[in-house]
Amino acid sequence: MGGRVTAVCCTFLLVLLAHAASAQQPKIGDPPEASNMRLVGTSDLQARSAYQPTIHHQGDRWIAYIGHHGGTDDIPDPVNPMTGKAEPNGTSIVDVTDPAHSRYLRHIPGQEGKYESGGAQMVRICDGKDLPKGDRNAVYMLRTFGSEAHEIWNVADPANPVLVTRIGGLKDTHKNFWECSTGIAFLVSGAPDWRTRRMTQIYDFSDPAHPVKIRDFGLPGQEPGATGAVPTELHGPISTGPQGNRVYFGYGTNKGGFLQIVDRDKLLNGPKEPTPDNLTFPEIARMPLSAMNGAHTVFPMLGMPIAEFVHDKDGKSRDIVMIVDEAILNECGEARQMVWFADVTTETRPMMISSYTVPEASGSFCDRGGRFGSHSSNESMAPVYYKKLAFIAFFNAGVRALDIRDPYHPREVGYFIPSITAATDKRCVTIDGADRCKVAIQTNNVETDERGYIYAVDRANTGLHILELTGAARAVAGLP
Amino acid sequence: MMRSWPSIAAMFLALGGLSAVAGYEMAPPRAAQWHEIAWPFPRDGWPAGRAFRCGATECGADVEVYLRPKLGFCNCDGGVADDDEVDRVSDVDMISPRFAPLKAGDVIDVAGMLGRIRAYDVEMRGGMRTAIGIAVSHRCNLMAVAAQGGGEAARVRRAVLTFLQSQEIKNWAVVAMEGR
Repeated sequence: MGGRVTAVCCTFLLVLLAHAASAQQPKIGDPPEASNMRLVGTSDLQARSAYQPTIHHQGDRWIAYIGHHGGTDDIPDPVNPMTGKAEPNGTSIVDVTDPAHSRYLRHIPGQEGKYESGGAQMVRICDGKDLPKGDRNAVYMLRTFGSEAHEIWNVADPANPVLVTRIGGLKDTHKNFWECSTGIAFLVSGAPDWRTRRMTQIYDFSDPAHPVKIRDFGLPGQEPGATGAVPTELHGPISTGPQGNRVYFGYGTNKGGFLQIVDRDKLLNGPKEPTPDNLTFPEIARMPLSAMNGAHTVFPMLGMPIAEFVHDKDGKSRDIVMIVDEAILNECGEARQMVWFADVTTETRPMMISSYTVPEASGSFCDRGGRFGSHSSNESMAPVYYKKLAFIAFFNAGVRALDIRDPYHPREVGYFIPSITAATDKRCVTIDGADRCKVAIQTNNVETDERGYIYAVDRANTGLHILELTGAARAVAGLP
Repeated sequence: MMRSWPSIAAMFLALGGLSAVAGYEMAPPRAAQWHEIAWPFPRDGWPAGRAFRCGATECGADVEVYLRPKLGFCNCDGGVADDDEVDRVSDVDMISPRFAPLKAGDVIDVAGMLGRIRAYDVEMRGGMRTAIGIAVSHRCNLMAVAAQGGGEAARVRRAVLTFLQSQEIKNWAVVAMEGR
């Protein structure tokens, strides 16, 4: 009798465990998971895998420019319903003036290719009137063209973009940065003769129709003709312009990363021949991360007043760089990729002061499918959120809102995990030689606009989610 | 005519001896002559792999081979693109950060995975040694192989390739590339 009871109990327990595991699997029709964030509107982005969104206030309109990865094995070139043609993933242009009723304006095809091999991942925007020698009536979009080129388009009429400039012949591209006030662009490129896939090419795009190359830059050991170990490749830089005179470079993806702090003036005006000495000349400091973490985004927040230090005679305000790693393996197949805060007030002695990750147990994220871990943060420095709130794309854990007013103690104040749709693509791991696939949201990148809307895009083809803060998170930003 | 017999016999003997020596040198070492050793490198971004050693008597040169999968580290479509990629990913820098390629690399197939192989001079504390770097891929994953030896590059390369063709290593590579 006791044996039967035990058997029944064990069976019941097994059923419960199986149910608990399947309960974590998102299903079409499930509501989004949210705290202090609300969905305002969506765009399916023609079911294209999305990377960088950039939101631009253009006249009286708000336009979202969204870069895409290449297509998938199942659908290499999705059909553009506006043209009826199959087009390699490129750049989506969406009118988000009314975020509840966004209008898809145009798809500009990118490089043929699947996943990271094609598309047009990156996009930055500058108004012609801000550039020193730009056409005052133009709005310029700098985008990558797959791995082979950078392009500048005039998107003054966002529904009818016109190609202005193309810089080709590359073996890779990635997360560029463009200073609108000077026109200086820090392009993540793979120059054919360099030993790394991704380094920096600096161009003067003050007149986008006539680009002027300034120099190539990278780490000693990456330059042409070098021998020996090759340092980790670049992911992306962010410049503080001539006023701040610093460029922050993030290297690595999910391993061996570091933050490099560079003197912008020395970088632009110093000796340009890519010798080890000349490459070292503008460097102020280099802070390594653990070998198990890389740096996708390095976002500077300089001169942050720290409430806890207000009565201290020195160090009341600190220069902070937020470092976001990129998770790349499905179902937690690597060390946790997360968010780090570095105090770089004494630039030659940067120090990691805090970190943040989504607690895995809060959603059994390692079992949901796809990637779990951080990828990127918003990069807008508009006052609405700058130095107050940061938004982190966390793949299957959606977008997370962090209160960063005290960067020594960052605190999550909201999150939004979108629902999957019929367009959401599967993510697979190999088990005993066979693919085992799951479908989960893969929030990949996030950006904000000056109005306070948050734009999260999905790597697994679920599209664009336009969000707003509610409750306590909204109060942190001081929004009504 | 009779007087030439000794010299002819001596010539045959010499040729036979030379052939035997050449045959011995060219003979592929058997996998059984290799023995596994502890992973000799400190922890880095990738989990430790497997390391093997073969002595000069068995392999014609003292050779050590280090293998490990790097999951999610390769261009999923293009695979191992060029020799620069072998320089970057094959783990030769674990042997010594100071290495220089001897010449352009070659295409290679290891356990059904395509990639490239390249030979290097590496600067070690005890002097120069030969290293071999190999990077082969399957989907988005990479198998990194680095080896070092005291002999000439061709001999070290031959010993390494023979080792990698052993069934035991091929089986392990297939399983390891699945993260098992």
